[in-house]
Amino acid sequence: MYYKIGVDVGGTNTDAVLVSQDNKILSKTKQTTTLDVSTGIANAIKFVLEESGVSKKAIKYIMLGTTHCTNALVERKELNKVGSIRIGLPASKAIPTMTDFPKDLQHVLGCHNYLVHGGYEYDGRPIEALREDEVKDFLHKMNGNIESLAITGIFSKTLPDQELKVAKWANEILGDAVRVSCSHQVGGIGLLERENAAILNAALQGVASKMVKAFKQTVSDLGLTAQLFIGQNDGTLMSLEQVKDFPVLTISSGPTNSIRGAGALSKVKDGVVIDVGGTTSDGGMLVDFFPRESTQAAQIGGVLTNFRMPDVVAVGIGGGTIVRFTDDTCQIGPDSVGYLLKEKALSFNGDTLTLSDFFIAENKIHIDGAIAVSDIKSTIEKQIGVSYDKALEKTKASIQETIEKLVDKLKTDAKDIPVVACGGGAFLLPAKIEGASEVLFPEHMEVANAFGACIAQISNEEEIIINTMQQNEESALEELLKKVNAKLLKDGAKKESVKVLTKEITPLAYLPGTVKLKIKICGDLEGA
Amino acid sequence: MRKISASDIEYIAMGSTVLGTGGGGDPYIGKLLAREAIKSYGEVELISADELKDDALVVPIAAFGAPMILVEKLFSGDEFVKAFEMMESYLGRKIDAVMPAEAGGLNGVIPFSVAAQKKIPLVDADGMGRAFPRLEMVTFTLHGIPVSPITQADEKGNRNVYHTINNVWGETLVGATTIQMGGSCAVGCYPMSGKQVKKAAIHDIVSYAQVLGEAILDAKANHKNPVDALIDKADAIKLFSGKVSNVSTKIDGRWNKGICEILGLDKDQGSHLTLDFQNEFLLAKKDGEAIAITPDLIVLIDAENAQPITAESIQFGTRVIVLGMKADAQWRTPEGIELGGPEKFGYKERFIPIEELNKK
Repeated sequence: MYYKIGVDVGGTNTDAVLVSQDNKILSKTKQTTTLDVSTGIANAIKFVLEESGVSKKAIKYIMLGTTHCTNALVERKELNKVGSIRIGLPASKAIPTMTDFPKDLQHVLGCHNYLVHGGYEYDGRPIEALREDEVKDFLHKMNGNIESLAITGIFSKTLPDQELKVAKWANEILGDAVRVSCSHQVGGIGLLERENAAILNAALQGVASKMVKAFKQTVSDLGLTAQLFIGQNDGTLMSLEQVKDFPVLTISSGPTNSIRGAGALSKVKDGVVIDVGGTTSDGGMLVDFFPRESTQAAQIGGVLTNFRMPDVVAVGIGGGTIVRFTDDTCQIGPDSVGYLLKEKALSFNGDTLTLSDFFIAENKIHIDGAIAVSDIKSTIEKQIGVSYDKALEKTKASIQETIEKLVDKLKTDAKDIPVVACGGGAFLLPAKIEGASEVLFPEHMEVANAFGACIAQISNEEEIIINTMQQNEESALEELLKKVNAKLLKDGAKKESVKVLTKEITPLAYLPGTVKLKIKICGDLEGA
Repeated sequence: MRKISASDIEYIAMGSTVLGTGGGGDPYIGKLLAREAIKSYGEVELISADELKDDALVVPIAAFGAPMILVEKLFSGDEFVKAFEMMESYLGRKIDAVMPAEAGGLNGVIPFSVAAQKKIPLVDADGMGRAFPRLEMVTFTLHGIPVSPITQADEKGNRNVYHTINNVWGETLVGATTIQMGGSCAVGCYPMSGKQVKKAAIHDIVSYAQVLGEAILDAKANHKNPVDALIDKADAIKLFSGKVSNVSTKIDGRWNKGICEILGLDKDQGSHLTLDFQNEFLLAKKDGEAIAITPDLIVLIDAENAQPITAESIQFGTRVIVLGMKADAQWRTPEGIELGGPEKFGYKERFIPIEELNKK
C-alpha cells in the first residue's frame, strides 16, 4: 500500500489531502497561503502526515496545483528577458512578433525579436531554406541580452526540424543557461497564438525553475522522497523537469482540479460543478469526468494564445462577498472582503456585512473566532435596519437567482442535470436549484481542488496537417496515435489505463484533400 | 473624405465580423496587418464613391485563400503591393484608389495596408455588403463588369495575370493556383472606372462597418447593452434568442458546410432554430419555417456581449441571438437572387425578404 498527497495553493488558502492508493481521503487541511508559498505548502503537508499517521516512506507521489506562473504573468513579476526567432521569411513579415502584446509586458520582456528565412508550406514544401549564417548572426546579437529564447516556425507543428536546428545552434552560441522554448511543443496551429505561447513560456522559465527548486527543497526538508508532479491546465500532470521546460502549461490548472475533484468525490460523470471561494463562485461543466473546454482562445496576461482552458463562468458570490441593503432591496457583491473575512466581517466584530455572516448565524458553518450567533443576528439588524429574518430571506433569494442563472448558462440543453458543490464556501449554495436534477454536497467538497490534483492523470496530444493525396489519413492517424502513445508510456503511464480523449480528422476548407489530424490521450501513472 | 487611423481599424474590423455573417475569414489577422501598415506609413484617406472622378481607375484588392493557412502562414505584406503594381503595369496606368471586394470578414480591412503603403485613397464601397465564398459573387458581376484582368501574387514573389472567359472562371483558376502557392495569395481584380464604381458598388459600407463596430465596442466600454446598440444601428431584426444545442459540419469540396441548432429561450422558449452554413450563414429556419434566407444577412452574436460568432467557432451551450439584416437592394433583384440566393447554394427555398418573412 502506498499513499499520495495533493496540494492546491490558492490566493487565500493552501489545501492538502492525503489519499490512499485507491483514492480514499485519510486526512485533509486548509492552511493559510504564506507570502513565500513554501511555508504554506510545508504546513499543509506536515498537517496531513501527522493527522493520518502515515509514514513518510509510504508517500509515493505528491501532486501540486499552483497559480504561481499565472500570478507571475499577471503581475509581470520575475519574468525572463526573452529573445524570439520566427522562421518564415518572406512570409509573415507584415505582422511583427509581440505586436498585440500589452505595452508593459513588451517592456518587461525586452524587444529582441528576429525574423529569419525558412518555414514550410502546409504540404511540407519549404517556403525558403533555413540560413545558418543569418540565424547565428542574430543569436550572437542576442547573446548576453536574453535569459531565454522562443523559436517559432511556420507549420512547425507538421515539420519541427527547423525549430530544432535553430534550438541546437542557440545552445551552441548562448550556452545551457539560456533555456529554449520551441513553439511546436507548446501550442497548436495558428502562428501568432503559438508564437505568443512560446514567448510566454520562455518568459516563465526563470520563475518555474525557482518554483520547482523550492518545491523540491520543501519536500526534502520534510524528509519525503516521493515523486513530484505539478498539475497542468487540461487536468493532467507534468513532471518537475517538464514544468521547467513548459511552465506555461501550468496556467489555469486550478479550476480544472476543482472540477475533476468534485466529479470524482460525487461520482458524477456529467454535470455542473460550482466551486465557491471567498470572492466568486466558478461554474464549470463536467463531461465524462473532464472539464468542458472553452472554444474561445484564451488570453493569458493580456496575450492571445491558442490554449484551451476549462470553460469557467464566474459570478460574484463567495464567502466574503459584501451584502448591502438599500431600504429593503438586497444587493450582493460583486466586491468581497476576500481573505480579510476575519477582520472585516460582522461576525468577527468587523463593520462589513458579508454572505458568511448569515450562514454563521444560521449555524451552517462554524468559523473559529466568530461572535455568538444571537449577537450576529442583532448586529446585522442594527447595521441594515431590516429585520434579520427578512434580510436572510432576501439574501437567500438573491443567491438562488444568481446561481440558477449560472447553472442555466452552463447547461447545453434543457434537460435537468446534477449540480455538484465544492470549495470552502459551498455552504452558500441552496439545496434546490431550478434546472438541476439534484444538488450534491459530497464529503470533502471543501478540498475538491487538492483531491483533483491527486487523481490527475498524465496526457499527451499532437495535431498535424497532412495531404491525403500523399498519405492515407487513417494510417497517418494511427501512426500519430502510436507516436503519442509511446511518449505517454515513456512519461510513466500505465499501459492498460491509456484512454483516447480526442481522435479527429478535420478536412480544411478551401484546401481539397488536406486534413488536420488531432490526437489526445491520457492515462494513469504507473502504480497510481 | 476622412482619415482612418489605427484606432478606427478596431471598429471597422469588428463591424466586418458582423458583415462576415459567420464567414469571410477571421479579421484579427487583417486588423493587425492594417494597423501595422498605418503605424508605418500613416493614416489612410477614406473617400466616398461619389468623390471619385468618372475616369478614375479603382481596383479591389483582396486576400485569397484558406482560413487555416491565413492564420499559420501570415502575410508578408508585399504580396498585396505586388498584385497592385502588377495591375498598374499590366494596364499601363496608375491606380487612383483601392477598395475592398468584400466588406465582410478579413477582406474588409485588408486593402488598408496597400492604401497606406501606396498613399492612395480607399473607396468607401465594396461588391458584397457582406461576405460570400466566391470571387464572382459580387454586385460588379450583376453589372457585367469582368473580373479580369486578375493579378495574383504570393509572398515568395510568384505572380500571375489572368484573362478568364467569365467571372466564374476567375474563381476557378485563381483557386487552383492558390493551392500551389501554398494556400494563400493576394489578388487585384475587377479593375473599374469611377463611373462603374458609383453604379455597381455597394456604397458607404466601410463607414457602415465602423458604425456597427462602434455600436458594440462603445456600448461595452460605457456599460450599456451592446446587443441593443447593435440592433439599433444595424436596423436588424431580432430573429431568435436561444442556446446552441448542436453543431454538425462537413467539408464538401472546398466549403465548410454545416448546420447549427439552437434551442429557444425567453420568448422563443419551446421553439427550435436551425442555421445552415456554407462558410457563411445562409438559411435560418424556425420550427421548420424559413425566417431568413441568403442574400439577406444572417448574423449570429453572443447574447451577452454581442460578439459576432463565426461558423468555425460556434460553441455548444453559448447563449446566442440571431439577427437578420436586409441585403443591399442590388442583391434582391432577380439577377442578384440568382447569383447569391438560396438556389445557388443548393437550397430548395425561394428567396423572400426578411421583413416579409417576419411581418408582425
